[in-house]
Amino acid sequence: MTTRLDMEKQAEKEAAGAPFGERAVIGWQGIRCVLPPGWNVSGFSLDRDSGYLRVDSPGSATMAVQIRWTNAAAANPGSQSLYALLMQRLGRRRQPAPPVQKPDLKMNLEKVLKDTAKQARKSKAGFESAVKPEKTEGENGERTAINFSWSGGGRGQGKIWYCQTCHRVVVAQVLGLAKDQAAIAAVASQLFATLHDHAGEGYDLWALYDLQVEIPQDFRLEAQDLRAGYLNLTFARGGEKIVVDRWGLASMALKKFTVQEWFVRHARIAVKRLAAGEEITPRGHRMAHAAGRFSLLERLRALRETRGSLRRFPTQYEGGAWECPESNKIYMVQVLHSARTVGLWQEVMRRCVCH
Amino acid sequence: MRLPLKTRLYYTVGRHLPFLKIRPPDIDRRAVLTLRPGRNSVLSWEKQESGETILTVPMKPQGGRMGRAMAKWFRIPENIEKRVELDEVGGYVWELCDGSHTVEAIVQKTGRHYKMNRREAEVSVTMFLQMLHERHFIAFYKKVSKRA
Repeated sequence: MTTRLDMEKQAEKEAAGAPFGERAVIGWQGIRCVLPPGWNVSGFSLDRDSGYLRVDSPGSATMAVQIRWTNAAAANPGSQSLYALLMQRLGRRRQPAPPVQKPDLKMNLEKVLKDTAKQARKSKAGFESAVKPEKTEGENGERTAINFSWSGGGRGQGKIWYCQTCHRVVVAQVLGLAKDQAAIAAVASQLFATLHDHAGEGYDLWALYDLQVEIPQDFRLEAQDLRAGYLNLTFARGGEKIVVDRWGLASMALKKFTVQEWFVRHARIAVKRLAAGEEITPRGHRMAHAAGRFSLLERLRALRETRGSLRRFPTQYEGGAWECPESNKIYMVQVLHSARTVGLWQEVMRRCVCH
Repeated sequence: MRLPLKTRLYYTVGRHLPFLKIRPPDIDRRAVLTLRPGRNSVLSWEKQESGETILTVPMKPQGGRMGRAMAKWFRIPENIEKRVELDEVGGYVWELCDGSHTVEAIVQKTGRHYKMNRREAEVSVTMFLQMLHERHFIAFYKKVSKRA
């Protein structure tokens, strides 16, 4: 079964100019891009409206990609009166949202370059920058972009743009040493050819450290735990949750346990009493699977977690764990959903790439 | 490498009197990756069939002359050994600590062998090497280029 992620990967493969598996796919808070192999996320923010992402080159890490974004719609909230807030909360907003004003990109860029010049002055280096004229990009001309480059205490090549679809102002830069000019240009061209700032088909790509999964865009990142050998991303929409776990060194971990036992040990709820079985993942791995309704105790626990809110209150569980021998990892995808949400687990599973 | 007593005292003072702002210089990550860890020759080690590696660490009698006398009095054997068990990955890294591999090479080999992400491999291996170094199981060497 081919998902959008697979098709996109094939398309991006050509853009990236590298065969499958020989590049790093990065996805965080709706931002996604393809970089050369071995590049890894080294810094990120948890806020969706205004945040940053830093990706370092492998080895000596003299080069880095820095992406900063702000949401122009969130930055200009319009009439945030008590009435408007209450109406938003009750879901009865009578007036449509005010149109988002196009931000002044040149002013934003000046600020970025001013900060960079300040840093260059600190390191007692001269600063030079070049800014290209504003242009319109994208399939439907939804992006207004300005390319720029600078040198001084290092070198950088970047782009600032405003996207009319997601109302984000994004500043993406490739940073490196002064001598890395050719390498910076090569990475920058790959980055800008593959960088997207909003979800496609309603799914956000979350990809870092060999974990790639697409999550419905209305789910927000609630918790994360990124350790060497263990990754966890928890997403929430009201009371509903999607939990994605990934363990490294599967060959060692599964010496003492079977996948089924591993699943039972690490599942969010007690899955022993649920209807358990075995399924095959889209990539052909055997998976321990369980699905069923919450017990009374689990409902009470969910009520405590949602702090009494009944919005999309979860009453059902579906989850599965599998070993991917190709990547030597164990993956686990769990969904805690309301009775109205059907087929969410299957959708997430289909969009989770293990190798 | 053990620091001279004067430097150690200097940093100890800095640690206890933080307002003096005395602290050891920051270690450059790139420089660390070029170091070569080598095993302590006093240690003996053995690889088990299960994949684990057992290190045998000879223990020095504690407490100086008085301690030795007490140990003799209570008939505690003088040659005490401590056994440390390393898991499969630990054993793999331990085998590579032969003084010929750099930290960078160990990271790369471990990552490739266990299909680990580069960053994950680097974090785990450097932490493990640091732990071994703190216990004096290994020492780091720096390759000095020969000048004509």
